[in-house]
Amino acid sequence: MSDKKPLFVFKDVHVEVEGKEVVKGVSLTINKGEIHAVMGPNGSGKSSLSNALMGHPDYTITKGEVSLNGKNVKEMSADERSRAGMFLAFQYPTAIPGVSVANFLRTALKAHRGKDADMSDFRKLLKAEMKNLSIDPSFATRYLNDGFSGGEKKRVEILQMSILNPKIALLDETDSGLDIDALKTVSEGINRFHNEENGILLVTHYQRLLNYVKPDFVHVLMDGRFVKSGGPELALKLEESGYDWVENEIRQKAKV
Amino acid sequence: MNKNNDIKIPDIIPELERGPLWLKEKRYASREAYNRTPLPSRSLHLWRYTDPNKFTIDREKAVDMAFNEGYDAVEKMELNHLKEGNLAALATDLGGKTINFYGIEKLTAQGIVISTLSEAVEKHHDLVERYLYRLVNSHTGKFEALNGALWNDGIFMYIPKNVTIENPIHLLRESGLANSVQFPRLLIVVGENAELTVIDEYGGGSQNENKEPSYTNGAVELFGLENSRTRYIMLQRQQPSATFYLNHRALVEKNADMLTITLAFGGALSKHNFGVILNAPGANSNMYGLLFGSDRQHFDNHTLHRHLSGQTTSNINFKVALSDKAVSAYTGLIRIDHKAKNCEAYQENRNLLLNKGTKAETIPELEILNEDVMCSHGATVGPVDLSQVFYLCSRGISHTEAVKMIVNGFVNNTIQKVPKDLQERIQTYVTERLEHI
Ligand SMILES: Nc1ncnc2c1ncn2[C@@H]1O[C@H](COP(=O)(O)OP(=O)(O)OP(=O)(O)O)[C@@H](O)[C@H]1O
Ligand SMILES: [Mg+2]
Repeated sequence: MSDKKPLFVFKDVHVEVEGKEVVKGVSLTINKGEIHAVMGPNGSGKSSLSNALMGHPDYTITKGEVSLNGKNVKEMSADERSRAGMFLAFQYPTAIPGVSVANFLRTALKAHRGKDADMSDFRKLLKAEMKNLSIDPSFATRYLNDGFSGGEKKRVEILQMSILNPKIALLDETDSGLDIDALKTVSEGINRFHNEENGILLVTHYQRLLNYVKPDFVHVLMDGRFVKSGGPELALKLEESGYDWVENEIRQKAKV
Repeated sequence: MNKNNDIKIPDIIPELERGPLWLKEKRYASREAYNRTPLPSRSLHLWRYTDPNKFTIDREKAVDMAFNEGYDAVEKMELNHLKEGNLAALATDLGGKTINFYGIEKLTAQGIVISTLSEAVEKHHDLVERYLYRLVNSHTGKFEALNGALWNDGIFMYIPKNVTIENPIHLLRESGLANSVQFPRLLIVVGENAELTVIDEYGGGSQNENKEPSYTNGAVELFGLENSRTRYIMLQRQQPSATFYLNHRALVEKNADMLTITLAFGGALSKHNFGVILNAPGANSNMYGLLFGSDRQHFDNHTLHRHLSGQTTSNINFKVALSDKAVSAYTGLIRIDHKAKNCEAYQENRNLLLNKGTKAETIPELEILNEDVMCSHGATVGPVDLSQVFYLCSRGISHTEAVKMIVNGFVNNTIQKVPKDLQERIQTYVTERLEHI
């Protein structure tokens, strides 16, 4: 425990969307090699936080600090954050008609490396990663997320993560919409990506993902605040008792 | 200030005397109609966005033609395409004055007719008399009457029954420089169970914006007979200060298929009117439009799908992208007649405004006179979708690059429908325009 190296840190982050504060001061330190899960009821601010951390212009960080490897990223644009090593797998990936998966990934990779990837190297890489995630090769020429099923979109998000190999990956409900086999495939993809040097923030509603991808910590976000943190057992307890249990606990504490 | 430029065509001028008697009569009738018809009212949808005064001419001003420097290069490139076997034939039409054909020997041997209209009037008299002026004539409108009176020479094509031409026939129509006036005309008859792809390209015109613009007023008439398959691709890439007017009408017969692709990049002021008439059961029309305007270009496009017969289908997908201070108006009329039951008609018009200062209007017009139809239309006008931009940016792609990718994606599936040897050029026009955003 002594050799913890902080990788991704945010402190007292407040997020405003459409003039409304939806994240009300959250802090977290993710050290290298750690996986953190964030759980919380619908509308508690999980996606807003993820979007804000990634630099979405509609989600303003009105207060607080965000840093990656000690470097302040708050003033960076989304593309700069990506190139600095951040990645967000979207809860609802946007379709981009007319832009093929392969062309998009090649352009993204070029932006990261500062130069064009060798065509045949790129093809090999893409083919291998697609195979790992059981994505049909025909998806390379399909338009990005255009007409993809919910599960296909989520796989392609993980495909992008595998290829861009970020330092910190924010995965917003990557498990939702996946069937049982797909959940396993995607989880394996996440585990393959994970190593001692990178970190993952996993937003999820269900324990079933955490059976495959083992978090070091679990945090509960309610009404824009982290109200409870714990180890993997917290997720199991939530699955069993629901969020009422957390609310009751908080109320009890307030009484004391 | 609206100046009135409505100058009459004089009684006796050489243009009106061209051709046999029936043709002269048509020309004189057109002259009559032009002189008699007042300028269209601005209260009509068709003319709400564009001043009709801009399309009148002073015939006296028409000068001998000189041509744009860029023309030779395009001609050379297309001659190469012909040599490489990507084209079935090439025709060059310099202001309706000099028309040349290349590679037509093989086609002629198959019974295909491809010639000047003036020659066809002599040699294929019956065909030409039956079809010319049937779809675009003195009743169509004032400016169609103007073309009908004053066209000098044009292009005629006839594809006999059961003949298929695999590769496109490319027509290069070049307008003269400043002050020039031309009236290109095209008549195509695709016979029963025959197949044709034609690229109708309009270039040239005045480059210098301070001079009087060149003026082009074109008419296109297409006939797709029973079971025929016709693909008509129009490319308008005139110079930055040209004035361009075009009326296109196609008549589609039983079980025949008509594909129309319109690609508009050029001119200062362009008014295009594309219409397909579905005349018998099983007739089908697909229309794709792609327009990319920049600087201060003004585009006004109208499409018509007229279902005269039941069991006919039509689909329109018209895309517009605008940058700088370009403006575009699109009016799309679907008319399904009283007796035309069990028709399907779809129309979509999407407009991307790439910066403030651009403007796009979109007006769907549905005249559906019976209940037994499936019909839908959709239109959007707006900037590039910010959630798309963010998605790409979140993968490390810069904002500018992201916008370019999205616009390229927007136009991509239309470009895919264009014949291969033209695709690259269309992509270049898009790329050039995207460099300035
Ligand atoms: N773009 C937006 N415009 C307006 N309100 C928004 C926007 N995005 C989020 N909100 C609001 O912010 C609050 C938090 O939403 P958010 O999407 O962050 O919740 P979530 O925890 O991700 O929920 P879920 O579990 O359903 O995905 C909600 O009240 C939501 O309506
Ligand atoms: Mg969410």
